[in-house]
Amino acid sequence: MDKKIGVAELYSEYANKAKANLNNSYNYVIDDDENKLFIEQSQQRYASGDNLSLDGIPLGIKDLFCTKGIKTSASSKILSNFIPQYESFVTKQLLNSGSIFIGKNNCDEFAMGSSNETSHFGPVINPWRSKTSPDDDLVPGGSSGGSAAAVAEGSCVASMGTDTGGSIRQPASLCGIVGLKPTFGSCSRWGIVAFASSLDQAGPLTNCVEDAGHILNAINKHDFNDTTSSNHKREDYVSEIHEKMEGKIKIGIPSDYLIDVNQDILNQIENTKKVLSKHEIEFIDVKFTTTDFALSTYYIIAPAEASSNLARYDGIRFGVREDGESLDDIYLNSRTQGFGDEVTRRILIGTYVLSAGYYDAYYRQAQKVRRLIKDDFQRVFNEVDFILTPTTPNEAFKIGDKLDPISMYKNDIYTVPTSLAGLPGISIPSGLSSNGLPLGIQLIGNYFKEKQLLQLAALAEKELAFNE
Amino acid sequence: MVIGLEVHAQLKTSSKLFSSSPNQFGSEPNENVNFIDSGMPGMLPVLNYGCIEKAIKTGFALDFTINKYSVFERKNYFYPDLPQGYQISQFEFPILTEGFINIDADERQKKIRIERAHLEQDAGKSIHDIDPKYSFIDLNRVGTPLLEIVSYPDLSSADEVVNYMSSLRQILMYIDVCDGNMQEGSLRADVNLSVRKPGEDLGTRCEIKNLNSFKFIRQAIEYEFQRQIEILENGGTIEQNTMLFDTSSGETRAMRSKEFSHDYRYFPDPDLLPVNITQEQIDKIKPTLEELPHEKLERYINEFKIEKNISKIIISEKDNTKVFEKMISETDVSPKVIASWLVGDIFAYVKENNFEVLDLLDRTKLIMDLLKLVSEDVISNKAGKEILPKVLSGEGNPNELVKEMGLEQVSDTSELEKIIDEALVGEDENIAKFQGGSDRVLGYFVGKCLKASKGKGNPKLINKILIEKLQK
Amino acid sequence: MSDIDIKRISYLAKLKLPLEKETFYANSLKDIIKWVDNLKEIDTSDVKPLHNVTESTESIRADEIKKDNSVDDVLNNAPERANNFFKVPKVVE
Ligand SMILES: [Mg+2]
Ligand SMILES: [Zn+2]
Repeated sequence: MDKKIGVAELYSEYANKAKANLNNSYNYVIDDDENKLFIEQSQQRYASGDNLSLDGIPLGIKDLFCTKGIKTSASSKILSNFIPQYESFVTKQLLNSGSIFIGKNNCDEFAMGSSNETSHFGPVINPWRSKTSPDDDLVPGGSSGGSAAAVAEGSCVASMGTDTGGSIRQPASLCGIVGLKPTFGSCSRWGIVAFASSLDQAGPLTNCVEDAGHILNAINKHDFNDTTSSNHKREDYVSEIHEKMEGKIKIGIPSDYLIDVNQDILNQIENTKKVLSKHEIEFIDVKFTTTDFALSTYYIIAPAEASSNLARYDGIRFGVREDGESLDDIYLNSRTQGFGDEVTRRILIGTYVLSAGYYDAYYRQAQKVRRLIKDDFQRVFNEVDFILTPTTPNEAFKIGDKLDPISMYKNDIYTVPTSLAGLPGISIPSGLSSNGLPLGIQLIGNYFKEKQLLQLAALAEKELAFNE
Repeated sequence: MVIGLEVHAQLKTSSKLFSSSPNQFGSEPNENVNFIDSGMPGMLPVLNYGCIEKAIKTGFALDFTINKYSVFERKNYFYPDLPQGYQISQFEFPILTEGFINIDADERQKKIRIERAHLEQDAGKSIHDIDPKYSFIDLNRVGTPLLEIVSYPDLSSADEVVNYMSSLRQILMYIDVCDGNMQEGSLRADVNLSVRKPGEDLGTRCEIKNLNSFKFIRQAIEYEFQRQIEILENGGTIEQNTMLFDTSSGETRAMRSKEFSHDYRYFPDPDLLPVNITQEQIDKIKPTLEELPHEKLERYINEFKIEKNISKIIISEKDNTKVFEKMISETDVSPKVIASWLVGDIFAYVKENNFEVLDLLDRTKLIMDLLKLVSEDVISNKAGKEILPKVLSGEGNPNELVKEMGLEQVSDTSELEKIIDEALVGEDENIAKFQGGSDRVLGYFVGKCLKASKGKGNPKLINKILIEKLQK
Repeated sequence: MSDIDIKRISYLAKLKLPLEKETFYANSLKDIIKWVDNLKEIDTSDVKPLHNVTESTESIRADEIKKDNSVDDVLNNAPERANNFFKVPKVVE
């Protein structure tokens, strides 16, 4: 950042936009007063030249990260009064790197959704408008829809999201920005409101690949308090991001991902192939055998874990308590009135697939297929270094358009398999649809290959020249 | 009557099973609670290795198979004392499987097989008796590590159950895994009981929950047994039920039957990865295992030559053995003599005065001084018993007390000879009787001499000198 | 796929669905369960379930006490408290 730009000026430029909340992308914007000290300290560090890696950078934070002393609702009524007394591991790293939080970004309730329409605080509006019907409010994607919209509208430099089955990559694609889901176990889940513990992963939504690298440098750390946090060696994800990658790169394109895909989407893949081919990159057709089963697997495992993770919301120790004559009534009323329709639906699915008589047929079977999916990726990664797919099967759609849950769930068809396998994936903008709406491509790397993945993404970003 | 027991033993660790909060009884409400314990959003469990060590020690002590691979699963149910809405427990892959204990049953040993033992979290506590309309929740106990030890239905009487439970308690206390304090709930039993006629299939069982004293266990079993028999004799059928034991009435009653039966929906906790224990870790724990009760018993009998029934009394409580073993290490008085004093007058005193056995630990030196005086005939056994209460209550040291109370025995031969000579004056008739073969007269003379010495004469010496003189 | 007992499922999940919603969720659940039923096509008899992509533990802590919050921190968000207790209507067993 330029030394001459004042931290306070930068902050108010973004904060003022956030306060206007044009697209409902914030559940809560932090008071200027509360940030005053952070701004001053940051400015001082710049003055003395010992500024930190993200010093003074205004960030949005998905309202799923617990932030000490700052309302954290998971966009749910049941947590709408909750003020954590602790700071999530990831947001703590961001604070330690000097960044300043603008506010808490709207998201789908408990991160369950692909359009940001399930939020208790109302839907987020995609800053983009279709050429053909510019009056329609479009969805930003979800569940990190508020984060994606906030970055796209320019009310924060970047935002922290979480991705369980595509919740960073899919909204990034629909809002024309970059979204990175790191390898499961890279960034601690400690202090993030849990949706599906074996899948949830924090990651950045940014304007460019390099910004994603900067944020990854800050948050990608081993955390002893998250048993699933990996203690592999972390790298510098930025310093060599624009350097030429060593050797010949092989990118697999799964043919089974491209059946029944509309022309706009196919064009993204074709175009990416074209612009990257002039580099030492070879494209190879690959085929997965488990793609057809990934969504089913996901929609058993994620709701099963969620049904249990959300049992703690009962109106007894925190959150909104609804009146009741007996204790049991308090439980029932707080939960029934506190959760929205989609959350209720997923709790019911999860309860069903874990219940006696169905556990083996659904939950256990899904866990087994999950292994097959993981193995399927490993087989493909024996042949190629990266995988290229569309991020989403379609462009941003109209708010209220997809009422049927299954057609909503199908939005995540390209992102869910990666999540089940725990692999890193990044969505970068690749072009516009015939309606003039942004579309993205997804690049998938092998475990903990974020450094190489970001190098490739930066190259693709440059060649695709989306921002120009 | 067919009975299986599920015993919950709280593990004696510093911190909780999945959080670093203190594992401590009797603190102020919610004092030992952190964000993990209170089930706050985003909080994650981290396993305490201390609990694994305690489980492995139990594995050695109860001859379990120690499983290198075990998995923590979530048991899902709603209760205000259960902040997460689930209990983290082990289900499909417990840490210990197939162990056993030998218990005393009708003068012989009976082997009680144990199906499994698994680690799990304890729940909090609600207090219902402060206010007529409200309950108050204290989460201090949340997350306390428990080892649930599940026996096969090998028990067939209340006596056997009590013997099994006390053997189990004894062993767990010996190996420092559990403090055994049943009043504080450190050890609780769920009793699964059914009845069957000889040769017939197992009947429907009822589970009586959370019994925390031997008395209640016995009462509950006897009541429940009668209840089931009565139902069957009247042509009824037993409904499978979870029962509560009412400690004031001594009766069992079914818990309010819920609209639907429970379905705990166990599944592997996605926040926790499977536990993989190495052989190296197991090997490291083995040498830390303390001497077990039955090993001690054999040693006391064979090495110390202490009678079996006295040995049994000492080993019944680990605290007893601590005191006893400290005593024998501090003196050359024979262990056998110490043992009989300990289970006799010393324990009687402890009981009468509401002492703890461990209170004796800082008095063993004085007690040993006293026993030494007795064994060296400085004072009589009777005098020793007289001094003991004063020594135990800290009123002084034995040597001073003997002098103060004037209880020192006269063992000075010349002094005793004088007394004896005086006693024989004018006893010619009795002396003749003795010499004529009447032993009874000897007792008379000893008594007379003791009286003349005001009880301080050493009876053994008096006896000896008397015989010498009389035979002349 | 057998019929879904929505009453039992919502009972287990501690949810009290209004009558009209019961049918709505029952149908929705039926659709979704039918949709995921394709997993039954796969023969997984030799496959070990995968609970988590990481399959071995790295974090096991030593048995040590750490206290870094006050009682107030824990009770701060309580809907009702009485002194240092959480307060709820009486539990009848
Ligand atoms: Mg039980
Ligand atoms: Zn248990």
